[in-house]
Amino acid sequence: MDCEKYKKLIEKYIEGTISNEHVAELKTHSETCEQCKEEFAQCTVLEDVVREAFSSRMSAEEGRASVMASLSAGSNITMRRAQYNLDWLAGRRASIAAGILLAIGLTLGFYMGRAGTDKPTGAKVPMRIAELNGTVLVRHEGLDAWKVLKADSNIHLGDTFHSAARSAFVLEMEDKSRIEVNQNSMLVLKLYNGQTQFFLEYGRCTAALESPHPPFFIRTPHGRVEALGTEFTVTVE
Amino acid sequence: MTDEFKQTMTSDEQLIRATLGGDMAAFGKIVERYWNMVVGLAISKIGEPAEAEDIAQESFMKAYSQLYSLQQPSRFAGWLSKIAVQQCSNTIRRRIRCQSALGCKATGFEEAETKTAETGNDRLTAGQRYFIRERVERLPEKFQKLILMRFVGGLSAMQIAEQLGKRPGTVRVWLHRAYKILRKDLSGILEEVT
Repeated sequence: MDCEKYKKLIEKYIEGTISNEHVAELKTHSETCEQCKEEFAQCTVLEDVVREAFSSRMSAEEGRASVMASLSAGSNITMRRAQYNLDWLAGRRASIAAGILLAIGLTLGFYMGRAGTDKPTGAKVPMRIAELNGTVLVRHEGLDAWKVLKADSNIHLGDTFHSAARSAFVLEMEDKSRIEVNQNSMLVLKLYNGQTQFFLEYGRCTAALESPHPPFFIRTPHGRVEALGTEFTVTVE
Repeated sequence: MTDEFKQTMTSDEQLIRATLGGDMAAFGKIVERYWNMVVGLAISKIGEPAEAEDIAQESFMKAYSQLYSLQQPSRFAGWLSKIAVQQCSNTIRRRIRCQSALGCKATGFEEAETKTAETGNDRLTAGQRYFIRERVERLPEKFQKLILMRFVGGLSAMQIAEQLGKRPGTVRVWLHRAYKILRKDLSGILEEVT
């Protein structure tokens, strides 16, 4: 009897790659071959006892129900928030590099006597900084110097915002619509057809708009993204 | 679960894409698929099924909240198992702090025996279950994980290789080695049960 073939099948059983047809074939063969019967039985029993020793008291369906109930109950568990946090973790190296560059930039700006002395030329726009984390720089139109954005800073047309690593900020408009700008992003406020437009040079921002809202766009170097709903995220790499 | 069977199921990638798109039910399917594997891994680290289930629940919730950071959805189970092991380490650290600060008692064999007897499985006695766990825990870490993913999680050697980012040949060799060790160590119980 060709037991070599069945030994191979038992190996496949252990590996979990055996087909149902081969299992049936193995069982049939085991009825007439004591050695293979013993081998196969040991194999199945070992699998069963290990499974039983490490088994959950709950079935997988009950486990699913339990997790889904917890997820529904825990309103603070959202994926977007996690993405935000993990971006921070992932950008540790970038944050060190950006911190060094920022320090050099600010020092140079200070010694050249330009930091904080220039006045913006663009018109003030009705927006405010609703949230600010970490270091965000702002440059007014027509000026070379970058300034550190503060929570009470006025926002002007033509302003360019740059959020460093592990930094983010939220712009709030008059109608309470918000734009959350993530770390390592650059956002420019531009005038287009008489309206303030947001231009995301790079990075990621999320717009949460009040409903109903007038046509709302975020422009990027690759094209224009129009808001169809009330919340959307734009990423430019 | 054979590879043929797996092909008829929705892949992890599809379910993860659906979850990221806001389909909570898709994540429910993922939980159902890997519940046993995560509980098994947690039992191997913690020893108590009730606590292991809590850890499994926390692990799935953490995985859900961090799903965006998963670079390779085809390795979801490998990633999830790392989260579960991390959650177990946190629990063990908490236990140690509790023991040293408040003088809490560590779970002894007798207590564990009582608790495991609550699982409702009649084939093995509490003592046998404890012995099997102890033998599996004695295996080298890499073998232990394979045995649990294969026998408890129901993944095939090929799937485990993909999930852990290992070569299929390596996983097959390790699996057979682990099987051989366990078969020898558990020969007494296997005779009793057969």
